Amino acid sequence: MSIVTVQLGQCGNQIGHEVFNAICSDVHGTHGLCSKKENESYHDACKERFFCEEESEVPIARAVLVDMEPKVISQTLSMAARSGYWKYDDRSRFCQKQGSGNNWANGYSVHGPRHKEVIMNLVQKEAEKCDRLGGFFTIMSMAGGTGSGLGAFVTQCLRDAFPTSFILNHVIWPYGTGEVIVQNYNSVLTLSHLYQSSDALLVHENDVIHKICAQLMNIKQISFRDVNQVIAHQLGSVFQPTYTAEGGLHYSRNPLGSFRDPSLYTSWLNPRDAFNAWKTPRAFNKYEKSASLVSNSQFLLKPLDNVVGKAWNMFASKAYIHQYTKFGIEEEDFLDSFTALEQVISSYTILC
Amino acid sequence: MGQHKEVFYPLPPVLYQLLINVLFSIVFFFSDNQIRFVKSALWYHGYDRPELYRLPSDGSAGSRELLLAFSWLLHRLSLLEQLLARNRVKTGDETSVSPEYGLEDGVDVRYLQWLNGRLRFQWRSLHAQHQELCKLLHKIHLFTSGSHMDQILGHFSVTETDLVRQPENYKQLLQLLESETMQLEAFLEWKQLEPVYWQWMVMNQTDFGRCSFLDSNIADHFQRPLPTKISSKRDILCCFLAGELFYRNLPYFFFFPLFFLFSLQVKTGGEELQKEGFSATARKIQESVELKLLDLTYLCAPKKNKMHGSCRLVFRSKHPASKTGFGSATEVIRELQMREASLERELKQLREECRQRLDEIAEGLDGVICISP
Repeated sequence: MSIVTVQLGQCGNQIGHEVFNAICSDVHGTHGLCSKKENESYHDACKERFFCEEESEVPIARAVLVDMEPKVISQTLSMAARSGYWKYDDRSRFCQKQGSGNNWANGYSVHGPRHKEVIMNLVQKEAEKCDRLGGFFTIMSMAGGTGSGLGAFVTQCLRDAFPTSFILNHVIWPYGTGEVIVQNYNSVLTLSHLYQSSDALLVHENDVIHKICAQLMNIKQISFRDVNQVIAHQLGSVFQPTYTAEGGLHYSRNPLGSFRDPSLYTSWLNPRDAFNAWKTPRAFNKYEKSASLVSNSQFLLKPLDNVVGKAWNMFASKAYIHQYTKFGIEEEDFLDSFTALEQVISSYTILC
Repeated sequence: MGQHKEVFYPLPPVLYQLLINVLFSIVFFFSDNQIRFVKSALWYHGYDRPELYRLPSDGSAGSRELLLAFSWLLHRLSLLEQLLARNRVKTGDETSVSPEYGLEDGVDVRYLQWLNGRLRFQWRSLHAQHQELCKLLHKIHLFTSGSHMDQILGHFSVTETDLVRQPENYKQLLQLLESETMQLEAFLEWKQLEPVYWQWMVMNQTDFGRCSFLDSNIADHFQRPLPTKISSKRDILCCFLAGELFYRNLPYFFFFPLFFLFSLQVKTGGEELQKEGFSATARKIQESVELKLLDLTYLCAPKKNKMHGSCRLVFRSKHPASKTGFGSATEVIRELQMREASLERELKQLREECRQRLDEIAEGLDGVICISP
């Protein structure tokens, strides 16, 4: 079963590239620490999931690259091709020359509708190459203009075009003290719109990753590349093919199927339903043993509350609103977004 | 009791066994006591005749009630058709269609939300699997088109394609096909005799007491004139032997209706012959009315296109893939009967027109008398 990745904006494209890199190098590595047969079936499962092996010599990533600026995409394409292990399909890209200026409204109301057909055509082509389409994985940041605004629009289009597919949005939570002054507006608008079309939001907070790099990995000068590689490693291990829950002998073609302490769980859901574990004997990325935990919990309650709070304060004084209204995002849209997110916050607050 | 008595009923144990075979193949729960099993299975299916449930548990009596219950199952569940469909050799191209169902109520609303999400995800996975199946089927059909002996269909089914890859499996497939053919032949044989069976049940109704479903069956099954071949003892014997043969390979109940006819013949000494005392004209009238009725119903019947259950996917080059449900055997028979009826009517009409034209011509000619056939 295959996943089509949609890389949106600068952040999305850079991270996407690292993810495919991590997966590919893991597949080609000889440090599987398991039998040859095991390795081969893992290999096959991985290949089918992320790459397409048609007539070309190297596997081609099942991805669509979208950005409003040409620079990052060309870099991404060439870096991939240079690796020699894999590459992107040169035709699976869309870029313009203008950029979005960190303006969510620009991405959502202007670029989105204007380029919808072209972008969706690219996605459709990738989808058709799959024998079995498992779903879509989009990568974007919340703070900017392209990834966030255009990303929200594209997610909506994906939902409309593929109503029965699974859509997973990977979202980068910006630094608390980020550079973009309107990042909280962008975040609020992105989240509230994604909530309507997406099936799941997988969040990585820049602050948290930064801490990992600094404290756990002892990197002195932390670059975006370091951060991205950590993220890519985590994502890769989450997407790694695993056995089905029954512990069968072959890899589950479905990525998305014994922590039993009840205090970890909510009162209305028993641990058996709430917790699922997938195992594999094959090591990932040279780690002899590793575990990844993906949880839907109150973890993000604080950051979310934080962002919404800050955005609200800004909104109350109408700061920078004109940047959005001039592209068609009115105050009502902001209010709708705030309402939606308040509901999410309250749902998570009463989770237990 | 009635006049023409000494109607022979098979002994209760035989009937119980028959019912068990029948019910067990549909329902899957077990009971220590076989009689209790039969009763509860019948209850499960909605059989509400109290006399059956009052039957003694030692199996000493109850032939008539059991026979009635068996007939009810036969009629109500389209038993034989179901079994034919189940025992059909699979082409591998099947997929199932089903209407959508709504969700039901639950407990904590958050649990409901969670459940809803989970359900949605499961359904989507299923959908993706179905799409994959269709895609792969399409590939098979596309690659094998033009290779099939059947010009109209043109392509191989999954089973056939598999046979190409593993030819040593042909023996097994052949056996399955042969057994399916025998079942169909036995079924057709049964269809010929079916009106007699129901008529016999209706005739002995006084033994059973009033039964509404027997009345409704008169209309259904009297449409065909009685097969005349039941008049000779030799034919009965042949039926019985044929039944014996089928019995070796087929479920018991295909054999049963033929068996009862044989026993009927033996015990009542040719009573059946007397039952064919329809006067010739009465029969003619009935026939013509039936034909008209069939024709009418065929023209007026709305197209019932409720697709539900298993059906075979077939490749058509004009549109990507269309579903052709191969209907049940009874439907096919009925359709053919209707077509026959309308063709006969058409024939009659043409004959009338011919006759009229001949009369017109004859009037024009002097000294010529036209005698119509």
